[in-house]
Amino acid sequence: MSKPNVNLDATELEVDTQVEGADTTASEVKSKDKPKKLRISYERKKGLYGYGFISLWIIGTIYFFLIPIAKSIFYSFHKTSLESGKLNLTFVGLNNFNEALFKSPTYIPALSASLTEVWQRVVIIVIFSLFIAVLLNQKFRGRVVARAIFFLPVIIATGPVIGIINGDMVNQGVQGAEQFNTLFETDLVGKLMEFIGIYNISQQLTETIQTITSDIFNLVWNSGVQILIFLAALQTIPTAAREAAEVEGATAWEYFWKITFPYVSPMILANIIYTVIDCFTDPNNEVMRMVVSMKDQWNFGYMSAIAWIYFAIVGVALAVVILIVSKLVHYEVD
Amino acid sequence: MSLFSNKGLSEAEIAHKRYKIKHRVTSIAGPIARFFVLFGMCFVIMYPLMYMVSTAFSPQAEMSDPSRIWIPKKIIFSNLVDAWHAMSYPKTFWTTLYLNLGSSLIQVLACALTGYGFARFKFKGQGFLFGIVIMMIIVPPQILSIPVFMQFFNFPLGSLINTPFAMYLPALFANGLRAGLFILIFRQFFKGLPKELEDAAYLDGCGPFKTFVRVMAPNAGSSFLTVFLFSIVWYWNDSYVSVIFVNNLAPMSVMVQNLSMHMAQQIYGKTDIPGTELIVWMEAGALLSILPILIMYVFLQKYFTEGIERSGIVG
Repeated sequence: MSKPNVNLDATELEVDTQVEGADTTASEVKSKDKPKKLRISYERKKGLYGYGFISLWIIGTIYFFLIPIAKSIFYSFHKTSLESGKLNLTFVGLNNFNEALFKSPTYIPALSASLTEVWQRVVIIVIFSLFIAVLLNQKFRGRVVARAIFFLPVIIATGPVIGIINGDMVNQGVQGAEQFNTLFETDLVGKLMEFIGIYNISQQLTETIQTITSDIFNLVWNSGVQILIFLAALQTIPTAAREAAEVEGATAWEYFWKITFPYVSPMILANIIYTVIDCFTDPNNEVMRMVVSMKDQWNFGYMSAIAWIYFAIVGVALAVVILIVSKLVHYEVD
Repeated sequence: MSLFSNKGLSEAEIAHKRYKIKHRVTSIAGPIARFFVLFGMCFVIMYPLMYMVSTAFSPQAEMSDPSRIWIPKKIIFSNLVDAWHAMSYPKTFWTTLYLNLGSSLIQVLACALTGYGFARFKFKGQGFLFGIVIMMIIVPPQILSIPVFMQFFNFPLGSLINTPFAMYLPALFANGLRAGLFILIFRQFFKGLPKELEDAAYLDGCGPFKTFVRVMAPNAGSSFLTVFLFSIVWYWNDSYVSVIFVNNLAPMSVMVQNLSMHMAQQIYGKTDIPGTELIVWMEAGALLSILPILIMYVFLQKYFTEGIERSGIVG
């Protein structure tokens, strides 16, 4: 009889098949030798290995993530003070939330400013980065250099260095980021819009356009990863689709809407999520600055409360956006 | 036959000619427009960097000279030397290096294991646990930092604050900086590998762990490198977590945050100096602090930009 190699410690499957197999003598010997608990199915055993692989993460997540989250929620119902290295907690119920939402003169304006910023930025950055990605995906000389430059902000922008560079430039007053703003803000854009004939059609439109142009610096500096993700998605468009479009004589415009857009649409969702998270955890937005300043005053209770309100709003908004956008997304393979 | 006369042509020929003209115009105008857009954007990106380099080599006196635009009239290196001393650069660099490299390395391994566990095994509560991974991406460190600080401060084996372990420990348990994102990347990557690999390894008598080490991990080389590089960059640039947990070790990001104070102390001997007086030294310090990362980027650029494409986030 040709036995499969019986490698007991490695494979439980073989033990199982032998136990249930026709070779009764062998199975009897086996079941006498082996204690019963070894007869778990291969599937279950594999599942246990799965737990083994993620066990480090489970321990870490309980200690570094779940307990801190629970504590942070717990703090938000307390008044905290620091006395001789120990944290004193007094239960105050919903007072912190009440304080933030109805009494504080600064929180609601900061909250609405931050939220407005988040959604404006998401829309602008996603459109902008798709546009740039389509440009960078074309074949032209210097493409590699251009790509490297567009990704450069990811290497630097996350650090405090850019703060110094920007801060200094603003300090100096003549040069720097401010220059972009004045360059675009004052007349050029106004003149241009007047020229095209869309100036003063509506105050809202004018303001929106001016927000975008005056914010061009932040826009470009914050879309590195998004551009890269779109670029990667553009690479997945099969050559067959492109050739078919060429044969049919599609214009660039049609090509974009009928071919490019459906193919990258899953990544639009991914980019929206990435951008929302990026904007809302940005230490420079107003609510985050408030949170950090509360931390510096050791006012954890209030800090947790304002952070959780903010987080809850963004979380709900994100969930709604994901629900809506994922309905519109086109998937090539399901 | 001139391009613009339509005499004696049929409808179809006119249409074809229109198409050709249109095609020719777009094939010339397109690249020009593209060049201007890309060049303009690249300029916006490079502007602060060029400004930084230009300022770092200028004498302070030239900063108020309106006739100087980009190139300093006199290129000096003393700003860099001063910044080097004020930041105690070699020591800072070494601290940052072992904190960063250590955390990144441990974190990449831990996240790879976790990602593999999520990608190739089925177990109870998988969906729920993966939901927690997504939560880890979304919840900002600002919310968690205080409770974690208290836990580290009251750690049973003595306070971990201001020791390297405050960085290493979360990394070891796949909970370091942006660990959620890395787990997601690894999961996506390992999910994409063919099932046959696993079966073949199984037939050859490899247990799941051996399969991971011998078969799966070698295939994930570029994923490992990408995640490792991103991890280094994010640790290098992180200021929030470093300030809270390892402030006294003074890695580069903490040093940069207090740069103006250090510089004022070094150059004027007192700390209450307005920022405008310090520009050249601040820029020199900023340049020094990102120089290692920039050099790394120049050499490993393709692993950053191609890494995301290959890591399997897409598709």
